[in-house]
Amino acid sequence: MSDGLDKLVEDIVRESRTRAEEIRKTGLAQIEDRLAEARAEATREADQITRNLRTECEAVVNRQVSQEKQKARLAYLAEKNRVLNDVMKDVRARLLEFCRNDSSYRPFLLKSIAQGIDATPSDRVKVALSEKDIRRYKGTKLLANALSTMHTTKMAVLSDEPVETTGGAVVASEDDKVRVDCTLEARLELMKPQLLSEISKILFVS
Amino acid sequence: MNKIVETEKESRQILDQTNKEISELKRDAPKKIALMREDILQKATERRESALAEAEKTGVEEAKRIALESKKQLDSISQIPSAKRRQAVDRAIELLLS
Repeated sequence: MSDGLDKLVEDIVRESRTRAEEIRKTGLAQIEDRLAEARAEATREADQITRNLRTECEAVVNRQVSQEKQKARLAYLAEKNRVLNDVMKDVRARLLEFCRNDSSYRPFLLKSIAQGIDATPSDRVKVALSEKDIRRYKGTKLLANALSTMHTTKMAVLSDEPVETTGGAVVASEDDKVRVDCTLEARLELMKPQLLSEISKILFVS
Repeated sequence: MNKIVETEKESRQILDQTNKEISELKRDAPKKIALMREDILQKATERRESALAEAEKTGVEEAKRIALESKKQLDSISQIPSAKRRQAVDRAIELLLS
């Protein structure tokens, strides 16, 4: 009787321990699953951070490099402009010298006047010079000489009104409706892009 | 009979104890998950910050190199020989008066 009772007690205890073990195993497995799932998700997010990192690092380097390049480019252009402006100042100074030398300036002036007369669609034209040139060439055969190089029947008179210029002439139709600016300043302005390009070629192309 | 009742009581206690342990573990799981997640992401963030700091350093070095090259280039423009400048002025005058 006692043996049977002991066996029954042992069975009850064993059964409950087995059940407890199953509950523990199932519970622990559920917890492990949740942990593994969360770990996998966190690892995926961490991997995404790492994957984006290369692009982010490249962006950091590129931003600094492009900022510095932009700065260098602006400084280079500013310095280039400064040098070009200095050279253009030298060009203007040389033009002033050129205009003071009658033997070289007069042929240029004749050519400018002839070009102006040719471009003015009028039979009678007025030729305006700088105040200095009016004083220098009034009474000389400047206009006659210019006309003689053109083989034209046009008539030209010297205007009493001076123009503001280093050299050259402004030719206008008699009614002042057409004006052809053949001054050095106009020529300088007109040819500026070409001049700057030529100067740049000489100075900056190595 | 008493012994059986005692034993069943004991076995219920064993089950209750186990259920309690598992419930506690389940209750603590979100906290454990949060800590683990924080740890993984923290490490990734630290790697990211360190790599970005390294990239920043590389960028600064590269920028310094560009600045140095730019300075050399500017110096070379500023020190154009006067013969070359004269040549440029001559060419401009030649074009203007031609």
